[in-house]
Amino acid sequence: MAIVAKPSKLGTFGRPVLAWTVGLLFFFPIFWMVLTSFKTDADAVKPEHLIFFQPTLENYLNMTENYDYWRFARNSVITAVMATLFTLFVGIPCAYAMAFNPSRATKDVLMWMLSTKMLPAAAVLYPMTFLTKSAGLFDTHFLIILVLSLINLPIVVWMLFTYFKEIPKDIIEAGKMDGVNTWGEIREILIPLAWGGIAATALLCFIFCWNEAYWTVRLTTTNAATLSKLIEGNRAPEGLFFGRLSAVSAAAVGPIVVLGWFCQKQLVQGLTFGAVK
Amino acid sequence: MSDRKLPRLLQSPAVLLLLVWMLIPLGMTLYFSFIRYVLNSLRRPEWTSPSLSNWRGFGNYEFVLNSKDFLFAIQNSLFIVCSILFLTVILGVLIAVLINKSFPGQGIVRVLLISPFFVMPAVNAVLWINMILDPVLGLQGIAVANLNDLAAALRDAPVIGWFFALWPQLEPISFRATQTSAYAVIIMVTWQWTPFAVLIFMTSLQSEDQQQKEAAVLDGASSWSQFRFLTLPHLGRPIAIVVMIQAIFHLSLYAEIEIVSRGNGNKNLPYLIGEFANNNIGAASATGIFAVILANIVAIFLLRMVGKTLME
Repeated sequence: MAIVAKPSKLGTFGRPVLAWTVGLLFFFPIFWMVLTSFKTDADAVKPEHLIFFQPTLENYLNMTENYDYWRFARNSVITAVMATLFTLFVGIPCAYAMAFNPSRATKDVLMWMLSTKMLPAAAVLYPMTFLTKSAGLFDTHFLIILVLSLINLPIVVWMLFTYFKEIPKDIIEAGKMDGVNTWGEIREILIPLAWGGIAATALLCFIFCWNEAYWTVRLTTTNAATLSKLIEGNRAPEGLFFGRLSAVSAAAVGPIVVLGWFCQKQLVQGLTFGAVK
Repeated sequence: MSDRKLPRLLQSPAVLLLLVWMLIPLGMTLYFSFIRYVLNSLRRPEWTSPSLSNWRGFGNYEFVLNSKDFLFAIQNSLFIVCSILFLTVILGVLIAVLINKSFPGQGIVRVLLISPFFVMPAVNAVLWINMILDPVLGLQGIAVANLNDLAAALRDAPVIGWFFALWPQLEPISFRATQTSAYAVIIMVTWQWTPFAVLIFMTSLQSEDQQQKEAAVLDGASSWSQFRFLTLPHLGRPIAIVVMIQAIFHLSLYAEIEIVSRGNGNKNLPYLIGEFANNNIGAASATGIFAVILANIVAIFLLRMVGKTLME
């Protein structure tokens, strides 16, 4: 019975093979999308050109003409960047106060913030449409920025809170003794110290904003429409435009997937609210 | 400024924004759910604007409860969410245990694995339903056609031909029917969220007590019993958290359903609300309140499970 930690054949060869297979399998749909994006629309649906085909850049070059890609991409960049900045602007002071001056209510406030994430967006769909239309905000960048900020604020506060908690209080106290005011404390002590954490939070917030697909679809028509809306609007080509659709899809997710690779560790902390370390 | 006031002042913008964001639309939904309110009505034009004089009491709720779609939407929501949770947790644990030990290229495999999580939901749905699952032009259709051709060609071969003659003609599955499009949604969301589960379980596995494991190995414990009695209990909390976060996200699943099954009857609660909201705002709002209640039941239950550990 007692075979002590002798690596079996399966352990040395089976594990890497199996692990690579699983990894490639999960990546395959993305690979397939990118591959298809280099085929012409005609080649994309021909079984004989499944793997061997004449690669072309035409789908990427015609993205503007076919889909007006850059307008949607610009909207995605503007709304995601602005929403991230605004969320940090509101979230940093909040998390700072919670981490360094916790009161008895802090825990409850944090839990309450989390609970706002659980409110199903669809439940307030019509009031939001109604309010924004009557305020003249429907389909504006301002509205999308605001909504994206609000849905990500709880996650951002939680993430920042878990990072700030790790900073020794003495350092902040020392700043107080030197007569630095609160903004000075945040700007000159907190932000430089927690720079890594803040950057990771910002990156994750940006990714979530970019991928958001409920409000950006329902609260826009053309002016502030993001890439989610673009893809959603071209959902059913029935095999007509696989090539060009793949290209525009790849262009919509490519930058984010690459950004995501850099913040996979932070993702765990951000989405589990620091509960898994 | 005193020491107590300042922290409150710093927190207030975030708290106030979230409070407004939560209370005003929710309050309006509650109000609309008790009045008759439709967007187009030639017969009763007074119902087309919200007013207290159109009070309907619990009429909208009754209407929603009696509609066939509502029960189906709830069942379907739960079916989709539970299937995704089941699949992602099982696959997540298996894959996390598989890739946790170091092997050549571990970092690359990790990167490959996590990628689906960052794909935007709309692209995920378009990619799967068209390029992979389509019964004719997608990879599924091509694979089925090739298998059929292969079997047909081998049927006339000597010695082994009889075996292939017994093979039935394979039929590709259309994922655009009511039931099958629910499966399509489950497949694509599982693909997207299994990486998330893997990532969390892996992080947790790294903090597993190695000495305990070594002791177990010395005592001659099999790999299975190590997994069963050490690893699995250790993963209890992360599993609870993965279930909680995913339940929150998937109860409000929308883009995938919209793209895969527009109008074919495969609907969940958010989709049904969207349908009602095209005209009957009263019914849409009542359905919204039901969705809030459902989400709260799930949230309270799950927060109980993990709430304490969150604050440690």
